[in-house]
Amino acid sequence: MPLAESPTSESSVPPLHVTDLTKRYGKERAIDCVTFSAAAGDVVGIIGPNGAGKTTLLETVVGLLPAETGEVLWHGEPLPASQRRSALFYLPDGVRPYRDEATFQVLSFFAGVYRRSRAETADTIMSVGLRPVLDRRVHALSKGYNRRLLLALALLAPHPVLLMDEPFDGFDLRQTREIVGVIRNQAARGRTFILAIHQLVDAERICDRLILLAGGRVRGAGTLDELRAQTSLPAGSLEDIFLALT
Amino acid sequence: MHSPKTYSRQTAPLWPLLAKELREITSGQALWTMLLLLCPLIGYSFLQAVSLYGESSSAALQSPVLANSLSPLDGVLVPTLGSFYVAVTLLFPFVAIRALGQEKETGALRLLVQLPYRPSTLVSAKLAAVLAAWILASIPALSTLIVWRMLGGHLAAAETANLLFGHLVYGLLVGALALFSASIAESAATSAIIALAVTIGSWVLDFTVAGNPGLLSWFAQLSLSQTLRPFEQGLLSGGLVLGAACVIFGLIALSAVWLPPGVPPLSKLRRSLPWLVIVALMLSAAAQVRLTVDVAEDRRNSFPSADQKLLATLRLPLLVTVRLAPEDPRYADLQRNVLTKLERTMPNVSVTLAKARQGFSGGSSDESYGEVEYVYGTRSDISRSTSPREILPLIYGLAGVSPPSPTPGGEYPGYPLVARADAALFWFFGGLPLLIVLCWWWIRRPPSVDNFLA
Repeated sequence: MPLAESPTSESSVPPLHVTDLTKRYGKERAIDCVTFSAAAGDVVGIIGPNGAGKTTLLETVVGLLPAETGEVLWHGEPLPASQRRSALFYLPDGVRPYRDEATFQVLSFFAGVYRRSRAETADTIMSVGLRPVLDRRVHALSKGYNRRLLLALALLAPHPVLLMDEPFDGFDLRQTREIVGVIRNQAARGRTFILAIHQLVDAERICDRLILLAGGRVRGAGTLDELRAQTSLPAGSLEDIFLALT
Repeated sequence: MHSPKTYSRQTAPLWPLLAKELREITSGQALWTMLLLLCPLIGYSFLQAVSLYGESSSAALQSPVLANSLSPLDGVLVPTLGSFYVAVTLLFPFVAIRALGQEKETGALRLLVQLPYRPSTLVSAKLAAVLAAWILASIPALSTLIVWRMLGGHLAAAETANLLFGHLVYGLLVGALALFSASIAESAATSAIIALAVTIGSWVLDFTVAGNPGLLSWFAQLSLSQTLRPFEQGLLSGGLVLGAACVIFGLIALSAVWLPPGVPPLSKLRRSLPWLVIVALMLSAAAQVRLTVDVAEDRRNSFPSADQKLLATLRLPLLVTVRLAPEDPRYADLQRNVLTKLERTMPNVSVTLAKARQGFSGGSSDESYGEVEYVYGTRSDISRSTSPREILPLIYGLAGVSPPSPTPGGEYPGYPLVARADAALFWFFGGLPLLIVLCWWWIRRPPSVDNFLA
């Protein structure tokens, strides 16, 4: 099973580099010349209010939406939209897949597709805490458990880069911390996470680097410390920084 | 691209995808509701057909000549399966659309298209699930065959299998059409409207323009329901089967083009055009295939075997010029009794419909109206008959061969049966629906995770 390479083996070129990505809906630019990179093992947060263009950005990066301009580079080479699913796996928000099937059947489907062993599948189930609802049908899952199911599906996918839209939506504080631990653990093994988050507290807690998006444009990017320096707010919270930059 | 760092789509096994599609289509209510509706519908049609067949048989038992015309294919199978055809036309699109429509509506499609399968593989797996659904839906129809046998009825294996095959081809056409409509529409409701517009539109074509001349006749041939006709007449037409396979292939190819979300419609249209051209070319090639097998036990679509053998040896072109209006019933008779049989038997037959100067209903100022001219080699003759008994000797005369002596025996005996199928009502209105409900419950029961975690 090809898994993400470890951070120690990465070259100087970031695995994922997005340049000047633009997507229009009619005359409106949903995202406008967005550029960013993600290194192996990075947890990158795309931060912005509702309507900032976070979902559009993720869907354009993975090739589910066509971009007007811009490129996605994989280890420095252009990655056409049709081939992006071999490197990137995207977990959309608001999806309740295969509602009539039991949770374990959906997991079993993904595990079968990606030839995951029983041990790997069981590990994933344990890590996201799905064990109590395995026999429950997807339509009967709570919002939180549905989110855990989606997360498990993404973790079963062997792709080196996972993009997730609002991965903490539906979780309480304790659950969020649990899932942050899972993501951190995977990132430590070299997987890259790009998370679209509108809760700034969550973003501050998990992300190594942040991309502040408003009106479809990148208003700031970097680690929290870099953003503090950029805004001259040495003790500023992400909220303060966001307000200063947008 | 650094291939070791990506996931290769070639490594994905097909079985999990197929199993998922089968679970999806069987877990929905649409299939089981259709099955429950089919039980009384098919059961009642069967009861009526057996009753009418029994009445005809009562008279035929007194007269062997009447018995010759009693074929279970016409008397029981075609009318019984006719109700299955209606259900497949009106209800099956809802079952097939679910295979794709629900994933679109729940957003699961955005996960599905990221899996390491080509769009064509995804759509083919869905078509396989649709085929499985059709097989399940055909259970009430298949059970009528068993009941018919239990009543003592006769079934000819070849013509029965051919008829079932025809229904399978029609079911796959409707299924592929439903998948295509689900791939182009955003919601299941819109998909259903598109699919039903085509299936019901086919009926309209049949009722309104069939039998009309020119362009309208060409339109009538596009009707989906025309697919079943030859099978119902005991014909296995290679061209028709190939043509239907081409249309199914085309619909699946187009569905694969329209499946991925995020591709602009204009781009999908551009990608569809080559497929449309390819399918058009395949259809025109399929139309050239003249291989047709008469599988009817009574050989209604063929001349007597001695004539068949002799006609097949006449290698020169036979040119037939018909001076009849296309809507003239004599033309239909001539076609059914003579022309189509000649086309299937002789290697080189060309039929031309000469422009009739006066319609058959408007009186005839043209003396030649109603004449049919036969030209074989350098000789020609004219006849007004629509009967093979007169026309075959005429052709033999033109070819300079003696008519074959009739082969004794081998005549279709007919299968009269006076039977009542009232008891079968308990099966179609009670037993079978109960079994279906039990199966539905078994499939819907809470699944066990024991094996999964073992």
